Amino acid sequence: MASNPPPAVVIVDDEEMVITSVRAFLRLETEYAIHGFTLPGEAVKFLETNPVDVVVSDYLMPKMNGLELLAKSKQFQPEAARVLLTGHADKQSAIRAINDVGLYQYLEKPWDNQQLLLVIQSAIERTTLLRSLREKISALDTAHSNLKDIQAKLLRAFL
Amino acid sequence: MEEEPRHLAELYRMAVLGRLTAKIVHEITTPAGSIRSNNEVLARSLDALGKLLSDATVKKCAPPAKALDILETLKNLAGVDKIACDRISAVVRGLKTYARVEEGELRKTNLNDLLRDTLKLAGVEFRNRVTLVEDFGEMPAVECYPQSLSQVFLNLLVNAGQAIEGEGQVTVRTRAENGWARISISDTGTGIAPEHRDRIFTPGFTTKPAGEGTGLGLVITREIVVDHHHGTITFESEPGRGTTFHARIPITHPRNRS
Repeated sequence: MASNPPPAVVIVDDEEMVITSVRAFLRLETEYAIHGFTLPGEAVKFLETNPVDVVVSDYLMPKMNGLELLAKSKQFQPEAARVLLTGHADKQSAIRAINDVGLYQYLEKPWDNQQLLLVIQSAIERTTLLRSLREKISALDTAHSNLKDIQAKLLRAFL
Repeated sequence: MEEEPRHLAELYRMAVLGRLTAKIVHEITTPAGSIRSNNEVLARSLDALGKLLSDATVKKCAPPAKALDILETLKNLAGVDKIACDRISAVVRGLKTYARVEEGELRKTNLNDLLRDTLKLAGVEFRNRVTLVEDFGEMPAVECYPQSLSQVFLNLLVNAGQAIEGEGQVTVRTRAENGWARISISDTGTGIAPEHRDRIFTPGFTTKPAGEGTGLGLVITREIVVDHHHGTITFESEPGRGTTFHARIPITHPRNRS
Protein backbone atom coordinates (compact mmCIF):
# COMPACT_ATOMS: atom_id res chain seq x y z
CA MET A 1 0.00 0.00 0.00
CA ALA A 2 1.28 3.47 -0.81
CA SER A 3 2.10 5.51 2.27
CA ASN A 4 -1.04 7.52 2.83
CA PRO A 5 -0.68 10.97 4.39
CA PRO A 6 -1.65 10.93 8.08
CA PRO A 7 -5.22 11.98 8.91
CA ALA A 8 -5.52 15.77 9.18
CA VAL A 9 -7.21 17.35 12.20
CA VAL A 10 -8.06 21.06 12.37
CA ILE A 11 -8.52 22.64 15.81
CA VAL A 12 -9.99 26.14 16.10
CA ASP A 13 -10.12 27.95 19.44
CA ASP A 14 -9.44 31.60 20.18
CA GLU A 15 -7.61 30.42 23.30
CA GLU A 16 -4.07 29.49 22.35
CA MET A 17 -3.85 27.38 25.53
CA VAL A 18 -6.58 25.01 24.38
CA ILE A 19 -4.81 24.41 21.07
CA THR A 20 -1.47 23.82 22.80
CA SER A 21 -3.01 21.33 25.23
CA VAL A 22 -4.99 19.39 22.64
CA ARG A 23 -2.07 19.36 20.23
CA ALA A 24 0.33 18.05 22.90
CA PHE A 25 -2.11 15.29 23.79
CA LEU A 26 -2.77 14.23 20.18
CA ARG A 27 0.92 14.30 19.32
CA LEU A 28 1.61 11.98 22.24
CA GLU A 29 -1.16 9.53 21.34
CA THR A 30 -1.44 9.68 17.56
CA GLU A 31 0.37 10.34 14.28
CA TYR A 32 -2.23 12.84 13.07
CA ALA A 33 -1.25 16.03 11.31
CA ILE A 34 -2.64 18.74 13.59
CA HIS A 35 -3.44 22.23 12.35
CA GLY A 36 -4.37 24.72 15.07
CA PHE A 37 -5.91 28.17 14.47
CA THR A 38 -6.82 30.91 16.92
CA LEU A 39 -8.47 32.98 14.16
CA PRO A 40 -11.52 31.35 12.53
CA GLY A 41 -10.84 33.30 9.32
CA GLU A 42 -7.44 31.64 8.94
CA ALA A 43 -9.00 28.23 9.52
CA VAL A 44 -11.55 28.90 6.75
CA LYS A 45 -8.73 29.88 4.37
CA PHE A 46 -6.95 26.63 5.21
CA LEU A 47 -10.12 24.59 4.71
CA GLU A 48 -10.70 26.08 1.26
CA THR A 49 -7.64 24.35 -0.17
CA ASN A 50 -6.44 21.60 2.20
CA PRO A 51 -8.32 18.33 2.58
CA VAL A 52 -8.90 17.45 6.24
CA ASP A 53 -10.64 14.64 8.12
CA VAL A 54 -12.00 16.37 11.22
CA VAL A 55 -12.65 19.97 12.27
CA VAL A 56 -12.90 20.60 16.03
CA SER A 57 -14.10 24.11 16.84
CA ASP A 58 -14.81 26.27 19.87
CA TYR A 59 -18.16 28.07 19.90
CA LEU A 60 -17.58 31.60 21.25
CA MET A 61 -14.93 33.30 19.13
CA PRO A 62 -14.44 36.84 17.85
CA LYS A 63 -15.61 37.75 14.34
CA MET A 64 -17.00 34.28 13.56
CA ASN A 65 -18.58 31.78 15.93
CA GLY A 66 -18.04 28.04 15.85
CA LEU A 67 -21.29 27.33 14.01
CA GLU A 68 -20.47 29.77 11.22
CA LEU A 69 -17.04 28.22 10.94
CA LEU A 70 -18.41 24.67 10.79
CA ALA A 71 -20.97 25.77 8.19
CA LYS A 72 -18.06 27.00 6.02
CA SER A 73 -16.27 23.73 6.64
CA LYS A 74 -19.36 21.84 5.49
CA GLN A 75 -19.46 23.97 2.35
CA PHE A 76 -15.79 23.43 1.42
CA GLN A 77 -15.33 19.90 2.76
CA PRO A 78 -18.67 18.15 3.18
CA GLU A 79 -16.99 14.87 4.11
CA ALA A 80 -14.86 16.22 6.98
CA ALA A 81 -16.54 15.48 10.33
CA ARG A 82 -17.55 18.52 12.38
CA VAL A 83 -17.10 18.61 16.16
CA LEU A 84 -18.06 21.49 18.48
CA LEU A 85 -15.98 21.76 21.68
CA THR A 86 -17.50 24.44 23.82
CA GLY A 87 -17.47 25.88 27.32
CA HIS A 88 -20.65 27.72 26.46
CA ALA A 89 -23.16 25.04 27.35
CA ASP A 90 -26.43 26.25 26.01
CA LYS A 91 -29.00 23.89 24.69
CA GLN A 92 -30.18 26.15 21.88
CA SER A 93 -26.76 26.44 20.28
CA ALA A 94 -26.36 22.67 20.56
CA ILE A 95 -29.66 22.04 18.79
CA ARG A 96 -28.83 24.59 16.10
CA ALA A 97 -25.42 23.00 15.65
CA ILE A 98 -26.86 19.56 15.12
CA ASN A 99 -29.60 20.71 12.76
CA ASP A 100 -27.88 23.44 10.76
CA VAL A 101 -24.34 22.18 10.32
CA GLY A 102 -24.84 18.43 10.62
CA LEU A 103 -22.67 18.16 13.69
CA TYR A 104 -20.88 14.88 14.31
CA GLN A 105 -20.34 15.45 18.06
CA TYR A 106 -20.99 18.12 20.67
CA LEU A 107 -18.36 18.17 23.43
CA GLU A 108 -18.21 20.34 26.52
CA LYS A 109 -15.26 21.95 28.23
CA PRO A 110 -13.50 20.94 30.39
CA TRP A 111 -13.01 18.07 28.02
CA ASP A 112 -11.90 14.55 28.76
CA ASN A 113 -8.85 13.61 26.69
CA GLN A 114 -9.85 9.98 26.22
CA GLN A 115 -13.32 10.95 25.09
CA LEU A 116 -11.94 13.58 22.75
CA LEU A 117 -9.56 11.02 21.27
CA LEU A 118 -12.35 8.49 20.82
CA VAL A 119 -14.52 11.07 19.07
CA ILE A 120 -11.70 12.15 16.76
CA GLN A 121 -10.77 8.53 15.94
CA SER A 122 -14.31 7.55 15.06
CA ALA A 123 -14.78 10.81 13.14
CA ILE A 124 -11.71 10.01 11.04
CA GLU A 125 -13.04 6.52 10.41
CA ARG A 126 -16.34 7.95 9.25
CA THR A 127 -14.63 10.46 6.96
CA THR A 128 -12.47 7.68 5.46
CA LEU A 129 -15.54 5.55 4.85
CA LEU A 130 -17.41 8.44 3.23
CA ARG A 131 -14.44 9.13 0.97
CA SER A 132 -14.08 5.53 -0.11
CA LEU A 133 -17.83 5.34 -0.67
CA ARG A 134 -17.64 8.39 -2.91
CA GLU A 135 -14.67 6.87 -4.81
CA LYS A 136 -16.53 3.57 -5.26
CA ILE A 137 -19.64 5.37 -6.51
CA SER A 138 -17.62 7.33 -9.03
CA ALA A 139 -15.83 4.12 -10.09
CA LEU A 140 -19.25 2.51 -10.55
CA ASP A 141 -20.42 5.51 -12.56
CA THR A 142 -17.38 5.27 -14.81
CA ALA A 143 -17.85 1.51 -15.24
CA HIS A 144 -21.52 2.05 -15.99
CA SER A 145 -20.88 4.66 -18.65
CA ASN A 146 -18.11 2.48 -20.15
CA LEU A 147 -20.56 -0.39 -20.38
CA LYS A 148 -23.10 1.85 -22.05
CA ASP A 149 -20.50 2.92 -24.59
CA ILE A 150 -19.65 -0.69 -25.32
CA GLN A 151 -23.30 -1.55 -25.62
CA ALA A 152 -23.82 1.31 -28.04
CA LYS A 153 -20.81 0.21 -30.12
CA LEU A 154 -22.06 -3.39 -30.16
CA LEU A 155 -25.50 -2.27 -31.27
CA ARG A 156 -23.96 -0.15 -34.03
CA ALA A 157 -21.75 -3.06 -35.16
CA PHE A 158 -24.59 -5.57 -35.43
CA LEU A 159 -27.48 -3.48 -36.63
CA MET B 1 -36.54 38.59 66.30
CA GLU B 2 -36.74 40.21 62.92
CA GLU B 3 -33.65 40.35 60.79
CA GLU B 4 -32.41 43.74 59.74
CA PRO B 5 -33.55 44.21 56.14
CA ARG B 6 -30.58 44.23 53.84
CA HIS B 7 -29.85 47.36 52.00
CA LEU B 8 -31.21 47.47 48.47
CA ALA B 9 -27.76 48.20 47.09
CA GLU B 10 -26.39 45.03 48.69
CA LEU B 11 -29.11 42.89 47.11
CA TYR B 12 -28.56 44.53 43.77
CA ARG B 13 -24.82 43.96 44.05
CA MET B 14 -25.37 40.24 44.42
CA ALA B 15 -27.92 40.19 41.59
CA VAL B 16 -25.35 41.73 39.23
CA LEU B 17 -22.88 39.05 40.26
CA GLY B 18 -25.50 36.36 39.74
CA ARG B 19 -26.03 37.49 36.17
CA LEU B 20 -22.31 37.26 35.48
CA THR B 21 -21.97 33.78 36.96
CA ALA B 22 -22.41 31.79 33.75
CA LYS B 23 -19.72 33.86 32.07
CA ILE B 24 -17.41 33.65 35.08
CA VAL B 25 -17.78 29.88 34.99
CA HIS B 26 -16.84 29.91 31.31
CA GLU B 27 -13.83 32.08 32.07
CA ILE B 28 -12.59 29.56 34.64
CA THR B 29 -13.56 26.40 32.74
CA THR B 30 -11.29 27.00 29.75
CA PRO B 31 -8.01 27.31 31.67
CA ALA B 32 -9.11 24.56 34.07
CA GLY B 33 -9.72 22.26 31.08
CA SER B 34 -6.26 23.02 29.75
CA ILE B 35 -4.58 22.33 33.08
CA ARG B 36 -6.43 19.07 33.46
CA SER B 37 -5.50 17.88 29.97
CA ASN B 38 -1.90 19.01 30.41
CA ASN B 39 -1.57 17.19 33.69
CA GLU B 40 -2.47 13.92 32.02
CA VAL B 41 -0.11 14.57 29.11
CA LEU B 42 2.70 15.53 31.53
CA ALA B 43 2.38 12.27 33.45
CA ARG B 44 2.40 10.16 30.27
CA SER B 45 5.20 12.16 28.68
CA LEU B 46 7.38 11.76 31.75
CA ASP B 47 6.88 7.98 31.57
CA ALA B 48 7.79 7.96 27.88
CA LEU B 49 10.76 10.20 28.53
CA GLY B 50 12.00 7.99 31.36
CA LYS B 51 11.79 4.93 29.13
CA LEU B 52 13.61 6.60 26.22
CA LEU B 53 16.40 7.81 28.50
CA SER B 54 16.91 4.50 30.27
CA ASP B 55 16.94 2.66 26.91
CA ALA B 56 19.55 5.14 25.68
CA THR B 57 21.63 4.57 28.84
CA VAL B 58 21.54 0.80 28.38
CA LYS B 59 22.57 1.13 24.72
CA LYS B 60 25.12 3.80 25.68
CA CYS B 61 23.93 6.20 22.99
CA ALA B 62 22.83 9.82 22.99
CA PRO B 63 19.22 10.58 23.99
CA PRO B 64 17.03 10.08 20.90
CA ALA B 65 15.45 13.02 19.07
CA LYS B 66 12.04 11.92 20.31
CA ALA B 67 13.18 12.62 23.89
CA LEU B 68 14.16 16.17 23.01
CA ASP B 69 10.82 16.55 21.27
CA ILE B 70 8.99 15.48 24.43
CA LEU B 71 11.07 17.88 26.53
CA GLU B 72 10.03 20.73 24.23
CA THR B 73 6.36 19.75 24.63
CA LEU B 74 6.72 19.59 28.42
CA LYS B 75 8.22 23.09 28.46
CA ASN B 76 5.30 24.41 26.39
CA LEU B 77 2.75 22.80 28.66
CA ALA B 78 4.39 24.23 31.78
CA GLY B 79 4.11 27.66 30.16
CA VAL B 80 0.44 27.11 29.35
CA ASP B 81 -0.27 25.96 32.91
CA LYS B 82 1.23 29.14 34.30
CA ILE B 83 -0.91 31.34 32.04
CA ALA B 84 -3.98 29.23 32.86
CA CYS B 85 -3.39 29.53 36.63
CA ASP B 86 -2.86 33.28 36.33
CA ARG B 87 -6.15 33.59 34.45
CA ILE B 88 -8.06 31.70 37.11
CA SER B 89 -6.38 33.67 39.92
CA ALA B 90 -7.24 36.99 38.29
CA VAL B 91 -10.95 36.15 38.02
CA VAL B 92 -11.01 34.82 41.57
CA ARG B 93 -9.32 37.99 42.84
CA GLY B 94 -11.93 40.09 41.06
CA LEU B 95 -14.66 37.97 42.62
CA LYS B 96 -13.17 38.30 46.09
CA THR B 97 -12.89 42.08 45.80
CA TYR B 98 -16.42 42.39 44.56
CA ALA B 99 -18.19 39.85 46.74
CA ARG B 100 -16.67 40.95 50.04
CA VAL B 101 -19.31 42.53 52.24
CA GLU B 102 -18.84 46.26 52.68
CA GLU B 103 -17.41 46.85 56.13
CA GLY B 104 -19.03 50.25 56.28
CA GLU B 105 -15.76 51.94 57.08
CA LEU B 106 -13.83 54.37 54.98
CA ARG B 107 -10.56 52.91 53.71
CA LYS B 108 -7.73 54.56 51.86
CA THR B 109 -7.80 52.72 48.58
CA ASN B 110 -5.81 52.67 45.39
CA LEU B 111 -8.62 53.15 42.87
CA ASN B 112 -6.47 51.95 39.95
CA ASP B 113 -6.01 48.58 41.69
CA LEU B 114 -9.71 48.41 42.53
CA LEU B 115 -10.56 49.15 38.89
CA ARG B 116 -8.13 46.50 37.64
CA ASP B 117 -9.80 43.85 39.80
CA THR B 118 -13.26 44.96 38.71
CA LEU B 119 -12.19 44.95 35.07
CA LYS B 120 -11.29 41.27 35.43
CA LEU B 121 -14.91 40.58 36.31
CA ALA B 122 -16.37 42.92 33.71
CA GLY B 123 -14.00 41.35 31.18
CA VAL B 124 -16.07 38.16 31.21
CA GLU B 125 -18.96 40.20 29.82
CA PHE B 126 -16.76 41.73 27.13
CA ARG B 127 -14.65 38.78 26.15
CA ASN B 128 -13.77 38.78 22.46
CA ARG B 129 -16.27 41.44 21.59
CA VAL B 130 -15.06 44.58 23.25
CA THR B 131 -11.51 45.89 23.44
CA LEU B 132 -10.61 47.31 26.84
CA VAL B 133 -8.33 50.30 27.00
CA GLU B 134 -6.84 51.28 30.36
CA ASP B 135 -5.58 54.83 30.68
CA PHE B 136 -4.70 55.10 34.35
CA GLY B 137 -3.11 58.25 35.73
CA GLU B 138 -1.11 58.63 38.95
CA MET B 139 -3.60 58.50 41.81
CA PRO B 140 -3.23 59.16 45.50
CA ALA B 141 -5.04 56.72 47.83
CA VAL B 142 -8.70 57.74 48.00
CA GLU B 143 -10.78 57.57 51.17
CA CYS B 144 -13.80 55.54 50.16
CA TYR B 145 -16.01 52.49 50.65
CA PRO B 146 -14.15 50.16 48.29
CA GLN B 147 -16.82 47.47 47.86
CA SER B 148 -19.43 50.08 47.02
CA LEU B 149 -17.15 51.75 44.51
CA SER B 150 -16.31 48.40 42.97
CA GLN B 151 -20.06 48.03 42.42
CA VAL B 152 -20.21 51.46 40.78
CA PHE B 153 -17.40 50.50 38.42
CA LEU B 154 -18.93 47.13 37.56
CA ASN B 155 -22.35 48.72 36.88
CA LEU B 156 -20.83 51.33 34.58
CA LEU B 157 -18.60 48.79 32.83
CA VAL B 158 -21.38 46.27 32.26
CA ASN B 159 -23.63 49.08 30.95
CA ALA B 160 -20.84 50.21 28.63
CA GLY B 161 -20.41 46.67 27.31
CA GLN B 162 -24.14 46.23 26.79
CA ALA B 163 -24.40 49.56 24.94
CA ILE B 164 -22.11 48.14 22.27
CA GLU B 165 -23.79 46.03 19.62
CA GLY B 166 -21.21 43.74 18.08
CA GLU B 167 -17.66 44.94 18.44
CA GLY B 168 -16.37 48.10 20.03
CA GLN B 169 -14.16 49.66 22.64
CA VAL B 170 -14.45 50.59 26.29
CA THR B 171 -11.94 53.05 27.69
CA VAL B 172 -11.33 53.49 31.40
CA ARG B 173 -9.53 56.68 32.37
CA THR B 174 -8.45 57.78 35.84
CA ARG B 175 -7.07 61.18 36.80
CA ALA B 176 -6.40 63.06 40.02
CA GLU B 177 -7.53 66.70 39.80
CA ASN B 178 -7.47 69.30 42.62
CA GLY B 179 -8.42 67.01 45.46
CA TRP B 180 -10.73 64.87 43.34
CA ALA B 181 -10.35 61.49 41.70
CA ARG B 182 -12.06 61.29 38.33
CA ILE B 183 -12.95 57.93 36.81
CA SER B 184 -14.28 58.09 33.26
CA ILE B 185 -15.74 55.10 31.47
CA SER B 186 -16.40 55.55 27.75
CA ASP B 187 -17.99 53.20 25.28
CA THR B 188 -18.35 53.26 21.51
CA GLY B 189 -21.95 52.07 21.80
CA THR B 190 -25.37 53.23 20.72
CA GLY B 191 -25.49 56.27 23.01
CA ILE B 192 -28.38 57.54 25.13
CA ALA B 193 -31.32 59.00 23.21
CA PRO B 194 -31.86 62.71 24.07
CA GLU B 195 -35.41 62.00 25.32
CA HIS B 196 -34.07 59.46 27.82
CA ARG B 197 -31.33 61.62 29.33
CA ASP B 198 -33.45 63.19 32.08
CA ARG B 199 -34.67 59.84 33.25
CA ILE B 200 -31.65 57.53 33.42
CA PHE B 201 -31.19 58.09 37.17
CA THR B 202 -34.90 57.55 37.86
CA PRO B 203 -35.75 54.30 39.67
CA GLY B 204 -37.36 51.75 37.37
CA PHE B 205 -36.31 53.43 34.13
CA THR B 206 -34.61 51.05 31.71
CA THR B 207 -34.21 50.66 27.97
CA LYS B 208 -32.96 47.10 28.30
CA PRO B 209 -35.23 44.18 27.35
CA ALA B 210 -37.67 42.96 30.01
CA GLY B 211 -35.95 40.61 32.41
CA GLU B 212 -32.52 42.09 31.74
CA GLY B 213 -32.73 45.64 33.05
CA THR B 214 -33.96 46.39 36.55
CA GLY B 215 -33.88 50.14 36.25
CA LEU B 216 -31.86 50.17 39.48
CA GLY B 217 -28.22 50.06 38.33
CA LEU B 218 -27.73 53.78 37.78
CA VAL B 219 -29.94 54.70 40.75
CA ILE B 220 -27.65 52.73 43.04
CA THR B 221 -24.58 54.02 41.25
CA ARG B 222 -25.73 57.59 41.85
CA GLU B 223 -26.59 56.86 45.46
CA ILE B 224 -23.13 55.40 46.17
CA VAL B 225 -21.22 58.18 44.42
CA VAL B 226 -23.29 61.19 45.50
CA ASP B 227 -24.86 60.22 48.84
CA HIS B 228 -22.13 58.00 50.29
CA HIS B 229 -19.02 59.64 48.86
CA HIS B 230 -20.15 63.25 48.32
CA GLY B 231 -19.02 62.94 44.74
CA THR B 232 -20.66 63.72 41.41
CA ILE B 233 -21.72 61.61 38.49
CA THR B 234 -22.21 63.09 35.03
CA PHE B 235 -22.34 61.81 31.49
CA GLU B 236 -22.08 62.92 27.91
CA SER B 237 -23.56 60.94 25.09
CA GLU B 238 -23.93 61.08 21.36
CA PRO B 239 -26.35 58.68 19.67
CA GLY B 240 -24.43 56.32 17.42
CA ARG B 241 -21.03 57.39 18.80
CA GLY B 242 -21.15 56.34 22.44
CA THR B 243 -21.38 57.48 26.01
CA THR B 244 -18.93 58.55 28.70
CA PHE B 245 -19.75 58.50 32.40
CA HIS B 246 -17.57 60.53 34.78
CA ALA B 247 -17.57 59.71 38.48
CA ARG B 248 -15.76 62.23 40.67
CA ILE B 249 -14.86 61.22 44.21
CA PRO B 250 -13.21 63.56 46.74
CA ILE B 251 -9.79 62.18 47.70
CA THR B 252 -10.50 62.98 51.35
CA HIS B 253 -14.00 62.09 52.49
CA PRO B 254 -15.75 65.25 53.88
CA ARG B 255 -16.41 63.40 57.14
CA ASN B 256 -12.68 63.37 57.86
CA ARG B 257 -11.92 66.89 56.79
CA SER B 258 -10.82 69.25 59.52
